[in-house]
Amino acid sequence: MTAAVDPVTLEVIRNALTAIAEEMSLVVMRAARSPLLREAGDLSSALTDADGNLIAQGRDIPMHLGVMSLTVKEFLKRVRKDRLAPGDVWFLNLPEVGGNHLPDVKAIRPVFADGAIRAFAVSLAHWADIGGAVPGSYVANATDAWQEGLRIAPTRLFTADGPDREKLDLILANVRGADEREGDILAQMAATRAAEDRLLRVYDEHGIGVVEAAVAAIHDRAEAQMREALRALPDGVYEGEDFLDDDAAGGPPLPIRVTVTLDSDRAVFDFTGSGDAARGPLNTTPFIAAASVFYVVKALVGPDIQPSGGCYRPLEVITRPGSVLNPSPDKPVVGGNHETSQRVADAVFRALEPALPEALSAGGPTTSGLLLFGGRREDGAWTTLYETHGGGEGARIDRDGAPVIRVHMSNVMNTPAEVIEAEYPIQVERQALRRGSGGAGRHRGGDGVHREYRMRVDDVSLTSMFERRVVPPYGLQGGENGAPFRVTIVRSGGAEEDLSGKANVRLDRGDRVIVESCGGGGYGRPETDD
Amino acid sequence: MTGGWQAGIDMGGTFIDVVARNTASGEARSAKVRTRTDDRIAGIRAALAAVDLAWEDVDDLTHGTTMATNAIVEEKLAEVALIATEGFADTLEIGRQNRLHLYRLDLPPKVAPQVPAERRFEVAERLDHKGRTLTPLDPGSVEAAVSAATASGAGAVAVVLMHAYANASHEEALAEALAGRLPYVALSSRVNPEAREYERMATTVLSASLMPLVAGYLDGLEAAKPETSRLHLFHSAGGMASPRALRDLPLGLALSGPAAGVAAAGHVAAELGIGHAISFDMGGTTTDVCLITGGRAEIDNDRRIAGRPLRQAMVAVESIGAGGGSIAHLDHGALTVGPESAGADPGPACYGNGGAAPTVTDANLLLGYMDADRLLGGDIGLDRTAARAAIAPLAEAMAMSEEEAALGILRVANASMTRALGRITVERGIDGRDCTLIAFGGAGPMHAVAVARAFGIATVVVPARSSVFSALGCVAAEKSYSQQQTMRMESGEWDSGQVAAVHETMRARLAEPLVAAGHGAEELKTRTVAGVRYSGQSYAVEIAGPALDDPAALGRAFRDLHERLYGFATDEPWELVTLRQTVSVPRAAGGALGPDQTKEGPAARRADGCLFGPEGPVETPRLDRAVLAAGQQVDGPAIIEDAWSTIVLPPGAALRADDRGHLHIDVGSAP
Repeated sequence: MTAAVDPVTLEVIRNALTAIAEEMSLVVMRAARSPLLREAGDLSSALTDADGNLIAQGRDIPMHLGVMSLTVKEFLKRVRKDRLAPGDVWFLNLPEVGGNHLPDVKAIRPVFADGAIRAFAVSLAHWADIGGAVPGSYVANATDAWQEGLRIAPTRLFTADGPDREKLDLILANVRGADEREGDILAQMAATRAAEDRLLRVYDEHGIGVVEAAVAAIHDRAEAQMREALRALPDGVYEGEDFLDDDAAGGPPLPIRVTVTLDSDRAVFDFTGSGDAARGPLNTTPFIAAASVFYVVKALVGPDIQPSGGCYRPLEVITRPGSVLNPSPDKPVVGGNHETSQRVADAVFRALEPALPEALSAGGPTTSGLLLFGGRREDGAWTTLYETHGGGEGARIDRDGAPVIRVHMSNVMNTPAEVIEAEYPIQVERQALRRGSGGAGRHRGGDGVHREYRMRVDDVSLTSMFERRVVPPYGLQGGENGAPFRVTIVRSGGAEEDLSGKANVRLDRGDRVIVESCGGGGYGRPETDD
Repeated sequence: MTGGWQAGIDMGGTFIDVVARNTASGEARSAKVRTRTDDRIAGIRAALAAVDLAWEDVDDLTHGTTMATNAIVEEKLAEVALIATEGFADTLEIGRQNRLHLYRLDLPPKVAPQVPAERRFEVAERLDHKGRTLTPLDPGSVEAAVSAATASGAGAVAVVLMHAYANASHEEALAEALAGRLPYVALSSRVNPEAREYERMATTVLSASLMPLVAGYLDGLEAAKPETSRLHLFHSAGGMASPRALRDLPLGLALSGPAAGVAAAGHVAAELGIGHAISFDMGGTTTDVCLITGGRAEIDNDRRIAGRPLRQAMVAVESIGAGGGSIAHLDHGALTVGPESAGADPGPACYGNGGAAPTVTDANLLLGYMDADRLLGGDIGLDRTAARAAIAPLAEAMAMSEEEAALGILRVANASMTRALGRITVERGIDGRDCTLIAFGGAGPMHAVAVARAFGIATVVVPARSSVFSALGCVAAEKSYSQQQTMRMESGEWDSGQVAAVHETMRARLAEPLVAAGHGAEELKTRTVAGVRYSGQSYAVEIAGPALDDPAALGRAFRDLHERLYGFATDEPWELVTLRQTVSVPRAAGGALGPDQTKEGPAARRADGCLFGPEGPVETPRLDRAVLAAGQQVDGPAIIEDAWSTIVLPPGAALRADDRGHLHIDVGSAP
């Protein structure tokens, strides 16, 4: 502990800072226009120190963690501190600037006290549309970054004098649903303003020097926790790999390879051996790779470690420029955010199988199982159903996998059938367990889901973005693989089509889409040999 | 009616609180006795005896209980069979596909389904979201499912059909087929007539599984009570419910205990004209806080108990894992408190039952706030030496004195409580600093001033009878029934007749038990809250007293409220999505109780050295709460005690007693 702050004051300030980040998320959820934010809560909030190191996070979404902890640092490389002024709020969404994909837009406010920047408040929100080729900005067959939507380089949208109307209008002119988007922008701005008010009260109460000492102690403490957790892992060099089904453009399976070096209280994760950038939108950023690594370490050894910049100090994540995890900025990335991030976690878990098999789960549904239905309702209203499908959890050394669940980097809920039928021109004919889909083993993998959708109208566009269709969830320690993901279209005339994991097709009235999500891998050899 | 007494009884895990009021004389009495889990009814008699009453003296007895909550948490529930729409019985196991723990791979990611696959049965039928029949109910499949459910050995059956909230006829037909075959039947269209099939299914199954237990208890109560005495139970949403209604809808008891305390805080807020208040109820393992607006507790319709969704209107109580028993420890250079608790056994170190870990209660004792020489509630003695010994290692590790460490434990515990105050107010768009904190429960008044100061609240009220406050909530309760129902209607296709019909059916169902209890239909009051949203949004705003017969006026009210809540409104089409209705018998005038006549323990009046901050011990008088006269002012530092709780008034705070026995504290600031 370097800082001179007592354990009581440290905890009181830590609580206050975490409360601020939590309250930022509540402000966005209350003020936003978009249901995606107001109900689904697809957003994150964070405070960083003056150098961009994370000090508190509002909602602990594993995927956003890496992003939030690196966004401000990368932002500061583009925008020097002397350009920032009190009252500023900057917006950006570039994946290469501490980002992930275009729909996740970040608002950053520098918080000044006593004439200097003391902290940054960051609000990340998933915008329901960011422009680009299709409504909802989800282009499964994109081949470059510009098809995916509006790319916002760091832009000062608000100053102490209020909004910069021209820049705001430029952005709103390039996204669908301008009113709703303006609501999102105002909500994110309001959240950072609330954070500034509260932070200034904390500085008032404790004094700036004490708060800064506490922040330094928060980093040191998280670092110490992380080092202690790493020391508990057996030293060594471990290699692991897993594969994406394809490159989102019809190519062969694409490898994610990692060399993990555990050395006392530090660890290096080197992904240099991973495949080259994908032609389609399965690329992702080094920040997402770091988020996945951090997730694995936290899940394996330190579920209670406070997310903070200090956690990252003992971890080094290496990605190769030009690879699927560190592509040039012109590459499409929209699906990599939720698919490739999961494969990164899989590769690290698999690398560690020789070191700590008792701590691992067999392969699970490390895909969002995403289907997007876009079409006009019977009353003429345009609707887009963005639906994820969980699968069977991988089995563990001491228990079977759970059925139909989201694992690792994401935790989005399904949409109830009763809501789908009321809001979209789609009937749900069946939702049941996909029995027998879990891999056999001493403990069985969980079963996936079987869900059937029937179109009530003509001319519905269906976009798919799912994985584990070609490369199934893996068994561990001799357990069998889970059944792969399968989506079948049954046309009203009876013709059947096996849908690829990255496709755009048209559906008409009476056509059915049958989803059979993947089962989890089994654990241990099936014949009970012990 | 003979006795002229109204009694409120709140039965918790350890104590039964009782408050009784004589309607003629206004005399009020209260007491606390030990809960008897072996014979709850004997416990009720003992509680009444403690205020010198026999059950025969009581006209109306209102009872709050944690029995249902405990049964859910401890999974002491009946086995249930489920009958669902063909293709959907697995919904209970699929759930919403999200996991409970983000970073814990070792723990099961979701709760096991309450009904295993072999007791889940399906019938051929299908409705759409407007209640129109797509597939008629197939009689053959009904007979097969009913036979299978009967043969399954289940003690109760839940019937959950798709879109039954919009049309109950298929579920009602199944109820008829089940009549005489299985004693306990729960229909989703009655338990929770709202869209979202998983939540409705899980709620209905949970309700079914409580039916045998609750019915058994209610039968016992009704058999024991005298003919002339009426019995009511305290409902989770803050009103009363009849035993008959709870036999069908036992989930109404799920938050019965905490709801009664919050309701009492609501009465006090209304009585004192407080616009925004926060109830602050600190117990041994948790602290419950709830926002109260205009004298009414905020209502939450969606929550979980023990990982299971429970979708019923309930008071929006937020529980924080910090209470008197919460354990402090040093973790990588930070002092943390809770959520681990020493519980009731062994309890804090100072209880002398073998607890060695330092707790919040030990800190309160060491600082001199609690009186070691008094026996708390007659039989729990406190050991200050043990408290010091428990805190000593922590103090040494932090290079502090034991007293400084104790102050630190309280600061940290209070910090986690202020965080919760932030959540419940920001979530509803209210500046929490404008609220009044209403503190009660065993430890609430001990921490209230410090928590208020840390959060920026100026005023704390410790209400009369704060230590038997939940029982007070029972006796002062309004007789009311509430329910929320999905009702979809778009602004462009408004059918006033249909809305009125649904509204009336719902009102009649809610009024039924009140009418049966002898209340004239004309004295009943109906409150309606409509959930309205823009078409295509998934989140509704709540409009009280909606003009259901005038869509133009309702639209204006919606846009005004939307503008106020979210800062914008448009002329886009909107739709009604839910109706919530409360039917009540207005409280009689003069409901407030007279001055406190709680049976007091021995009063202590002497000056002690208490510690409030780094300045060291301060001479602090101890006052007996019972002797505070109306209008009397006390300046901090002071400790005010009654038999069951302690109010800490630090230096800089000032207290004034009013003529009702409420204590108003201006928290001031530390000098």
